[in-house]
Amino acid sequence: MRTLDATIATPPIAQADRRRQLAPLLLSAPLLVLLLALLVWPLAHLLRQSLLLTGAPAAGLTLHNYFEIATVPRYRHALTWSLELSLAVAAGSTLICLAPAWLFTRYQFPGKRLMRGILILPMTFAGMIVGFLMIILLGRTGFIPQLLERLTGKPFLSGVGYQFPGLILAYLYFEIPRATLTLESALRKLDSRLEQAGRSLGANRWQVFYLVVLPVIRPALISTFAVTFSVSLGSFGVLLVLSIRRFTLLPLEIFTQYIAPPTDQGLAAAMSFTLLAVAFATGYGLRQVARRMEGGNA
Amino acid sequence: MKQCRIIVLATAFLALTTCLAFAEPTVIQYDCIPNYANWGAVTKAYQKKTGVMVPPDMKGSSASMAALEAEGKSPKADCAYYSGAIGFQAASKGLHEPYKPKGWEKIPAGLKDPNGTWWTVHTGHVAILVNTSALKGKPVPRSFNDLLKPIYKGMIVYDDPRIHGTGFTFVSGINAVLGGGQDLKAGFDYLKKLDNNILKYAKENSYNELLRGEVPIWINADGNGLKAKYVDKAPIEIVIPAEGTVTMPLVMGLVKGAPHKEAAKRYLDWLLSNEAQHLMAESFFQPVMPVKLDSSLQAKFPPKSAYAKAKVLPLDKLAAQADGIKKRWEKEIEGGQ
Amino acid sequence: MLRRSGFIFCLAVTVALMAVILLPLLVVVLGSCVNASLLGLSTDLWSGSRNDIFDFSAFAYIFQNYGDWALFSLELALGCVAICLLVAVPAGYALARHPFPGSLLVEELVLLPLSLPGITLSMGLLAAYGELRGPYLVLAGHLLYTIPFMLRVVTATLRSFDVGRLEAAARSLGATLPQRLFLVILPNLRHAMMVGSLLVFAVSWGEFNVSFLLNRGRPQTFPAVLYDTYTNQSIQISSAATTIFLAIVIPAVIAIQWLGGRESSDLEQGA
Repeated sequence: MRTLDATIATPPIAQADRRRQLAPLLLSAPLLVLLLALLVWPLAHLLRQSLLLTGAPAAGLTLHNYFEIATVPRYRHALTWSLELSLAVAAGSTLICLAPAWLFTRYQFPGKRLMRGILILPMTFAGMIVGFLMIILLGRTGFIPQLLERLTGKPFLSGVGYQFPGLILAYLYFEIPRATLTLESALRKLDSRLEQAGRSLGANRWQVFYLVVLPVIRPALISTFAVTFSVSLGSFGVLLVLSIRRFTLLPLEIFTQYIAPPTDQGLAAAMSFTLLAVAFATGYGLRQVARRMEGGNA
Repeated sequence: MKQCRIIVLATAFLALTTCLAFAEPTVIQYDCIPNYANWGAVTKAYQKKTGVMVPPDMKGSSASMAALEAEGKSPKADCAYYSGAIGFQAASKGLHEPYKPKGWEKIPAGLKDPNGTWWTVHTGHVAILVNTSALKGKPVPRSFNDLLKPIYKGMIVYDDPRIHGTGFTFVSGINAVLGGGQDLKAGFDYLKKLDNNILKYAKENSYNELLRGEVPIWINADGNGLKAKYVDKAPIEIVIPAEGTVTMPLVMGLVKGAPHKEAAKRYLDWLLSNEAQHLMAESFFQPVMPVKLDSSLQAKFPPKSAYAKAKVLPLDKLAAQADGIKKRWEKEIEGGQ
Repeated sequence: MLRRSGFIFCLAVTVALMAVILLPLLVVVLGSCVNASLLGLSTDLWSGSRNDIFDFSAFAYIFQNYGDWALFSLELALGCVAICLLVAVPAGYALARHPFPGSLLVEELVLLPLSLPGITLSMGLLAAYGELRGPYLVLAGHLLYTIPFMLRVVTATLRSFDVGRLEAAARSLGATLPQRLFLVILPNLRHAMMVGSLLVFAVSWGEFNVSFLLNRGRPQTFPAVLYDTYTNQSIQISSAATTIFLAIVIPAVIAIQWLGGRESSDLEQGA
């Protein structure tokens, strides 16, 4: 078709070409408008707000708010603890969810769809909801301690919900669906002939896994890690509800600035932007690494 | 086509809901927690009487003030309810419109702003509310000092003072109760020690958790504890601490630029009426209007002697120090520095 | 034998995860209608005073007090579906089949909200449009999260081999762009649009963090009912609210599963 067009190169075709270029832009126009209005403009505004001093906006752009994050111990800890928690949760959920992802892609059995549906369910739950579920389950008078008390006479695990195990459990709760789905789609693309080849050469199941499968799905593991990391990083609902002593997270600090006066707009904006930068940089960086690995394995 | 059908459905729903929105007249009150001072029953009574709905709102005093500040010229609330000092602060920030509801003259001078930007609706006191069955045999604490005992570790809760007014009243008032000076050192030293026994600094109302025993000891208004004991029949004991307590006037104001101004004024008038004040007394908060209580109700309140050492703190001074106190609490107590 | 062990191991872990996810939900659903005090569990005010084992009065309370919030959420979700279909489908076609310079960047930007913290996006929207706080700003927040799903679904299908071939065939037969769109592309996208709509619906219905920050006054979104009731009402009432929430979400997830088949996991990931 292309060659035919080329041999009849006359103005009418050039016009058609222009229309051909215009049409996709027109089709995407509403999306572009929304993107600009809802994403680009607000983030630009936020960046500007973060560079202004709340008490003295006329003083011009300054990095003061960002310095405050780095120097005030409370905010610095909020940032580092956010990073640590998210890294731990991302690593944990990625590893744990390998099992269900493998199960769903490699085996057929009755009830598979039901299982998968249940694992996907928490995807729509907000962090706050999950926090409450944890209290219902593992609070001082939670369901599990009460059950254990009935059975053994002592309320084991009472109040665990308000401590770190409860926090980690809550985060894992809503990361399981995402991790499972991401890994699943990657494993699905994996050519099972590679495994068969490995097994035919005499490797046992675990060797096949380590030496054949793992290297190939490494990029998928990394993408899953990136996704779960960025989602955990931004979640404040869980900690808001569990109120763990002597512990804070950056998104929660932002929320507290917002809901409890006096509000420091510039600082809140700077914290928001820091969170964005970290999430974006990590996600992007990891995805690049994964892409490069995938390229190498192609 | 599928798209058309969906669009039609969506528009239909939009139309339906806009109609529904106009169906019920409402007055919006910020900080209208159903189980705090029994706002649930009070607003229900108002709806029964006039058909006007005052929906529950879970914002604490400081959160309400923050919301009003953020809303600026187009507030969504008609009126707001606060713990004394925060209400004073909100009024001095110009968030309220002066209004003197019916019965204004009967409110004692110290419990209202002369111009009508805020006034007391009822009064409570800071008390120690204990769920005796959740204590599992431990003795009931009788004083603020008792609360420092290690046996109560992980059992005590009070509201985050940055969000809730009662928590703020406690944090700012404990210094006076313990006989401290201007620098608030006595109070903050106490709070630091108390921190060892704290389960959490609640960002939400803990009424139900007290009932359930999830929170065994809650430092909050005496009225709420009394309601839990007599109305909801829970095993709660209300302890007025031996060292004394803080009298907490609970105030309201008409929001400047209220969307339903006339309806709000009628509601605020009603809140000072005999009927409403009596309801509040039945919920165990001291009504600000002179209302006659029958003896059986009076008997349920703790004896007057328990309140002998109740301190009344100057609201204007507290309001001026409010931001500083919150920041200090955040740094020294919550942050542990 | 070794195949067996692999299966059993994966199955065991998966079942354990399932149990972890299900347990709180079961407790909650039971808590909404079973009188806990009769089972000897500690209770709070709502359930302590009734004598029947089953009691659905909590549901009545929710409908009375928060019925309009549920409607508002449904309205938002349907509105999102409508807007996503109108905006993302044509754009998806353009991006997948006729990429222009910068179209890759556009796709990346659209997917960006999924990996950014919700609170940052809310703060951004507030910084730019703070005065407009209310239902429309909430819709804007929802769109940020739902458009990526629809777009991803559509582009994934359009990039598949079959649709490409069909369109090329139509083009070679002289079909113009509008003709190709309506007679070839859209009918083939029906499945993707269905799955996308369900995803958008489920995401919008469950969205809380952004909605909570961007809304003002009443009604709020339904997940805010969960927050309200968890913080200030008895366990029975908050459980009833949660049960209603699940009652809407679970059918949507089931429908996605049922329709999805092979493509669904690709479409659902990145949530």
